[in-house]
Amino acid sequence: MHSVAKLAACLLLLAPLASAQDSPGRRTPSVTLAPVPITAITRGKPGTVELQFRVSSGFHINSNSPKSEFLIPTSLKLNAPTDIVVGKVTYPAGVDRSFPFAPDEKISVYGGDFALAVVIRPLAHVVPGKYALHGQLKYQACDNAACYPPKQLPVDFEVKVEKAKVVVHKKNPAQSPHAHN
Amino acid sequence: MKHDPVVIILVAMVVTIMVVFGFHMVRRAPGQAALAGANLTGQPAPEFTLQSLDGKTVRLADFRGKAVLLNFWATWCEPCKIEMPWFVELQKQYGPEGLQVVGIAMDDASQEDIAKFASNMGVNYPILIGKEAVGDAYGGVQFLPATFYIGRDGKVVDKVFGLKGRGEIEEDIKKALAEGQAVQAQR
Repeated sequence: MHSVAKLAACLLLLAPLASAQDSPGRRTPSVTLAPVPITAITRGKPGTVELQFRVSSGFHINSNSPKSEFLIPTSLKLNAPTDIVVGKVTYPAGVDRSFPFAPDEKISVYGGDFALAVVIRPLAHVVPGKYALHGQLKYQACDNAACYPPKQLPVDFEVKVEKAKVVVHKKNPAQSPHAHN
Repeated sequence: MKHDPVVIILVAMVVTIMVVFGFHMVRRAPGQAALAGANLTGQPAPEFTLQSLDGKTVRLADFRGKAVLLNFWATWCEPCKIEMPWFVELQKQYGPEGLQVVGIAMDDASQEDIAKFASNMGVNYPILIGKEAVGDAYGGVQFLPATFYIGRDGKVVDKVFGLKGRGEIEEDIKKALAEGQAVQAQR
């Protein structure tokens, strides 16, 4: 009985802590970018870099195509070094969810993990090597009762530009015009 | 294994207290940490001068003698959209008793977009273009909606962060209307 009473006392002491962690507004939303492995891309050809993001638990952000013109879409802007072209950014479809503040309305959102795919194309004359790309993911987060001002998450990653592999076709000596019997 | 009824009751009480306390915190606490140290309740509401959507200069003091519902909002804030039609109705209902709803748009959107949004929502109360300094004066409005209820005497009666039910908003309006009645009677 003693130990049960102690357990009850401990639970009582921890109660404020537990509730504080669950309260909206006690934590601020965050979106994080997972480390991006260096992607090798052949110069003159497009390559795709995948960026993995995570929205902190209890929050959501608008998708790239929110259902209202006034909502701020999640969008990625990248600056690339000269002669490296940033192509199409592919956003995942948002999840249509309703929230306690608007149970009859569905909002297109990202929550938890989501990935963007970015096409990168180094021009044919780019010197092989590593190149850094920098940019920002703009997002605007909400929880079940409140919304937070738009934020920009720095997005930095590298790509390794390689020479096109030369494919050597061995000629059949028998077919060579220079072959002499 | 025998269970002592006293222990069971004790554990049940602890769990109940945890649930009730947690529920209360979830309903009341959004933003309270963000606004720590900015307890304005019972204090004079910080004065401000802002431009309205129709180009007028509006000061909080212009509404002295009225109960003011001061709502910080933005076009990108979905929960704010839920409250606005309630504010429109409540302005109609309690306006004759001395309520004035005032919206402060904490937005990066253009004034035209804010006006379009407000028009779409059928807003019947003044919308002012917010400034960060005004948000800071009210404790740093770090998320929206944030609503301050100001009595007729110019003192903050209550502040609410995040979306609340219409009933709770109406209760706070009644409190604000009741606060400082003597001030109004003297006028």
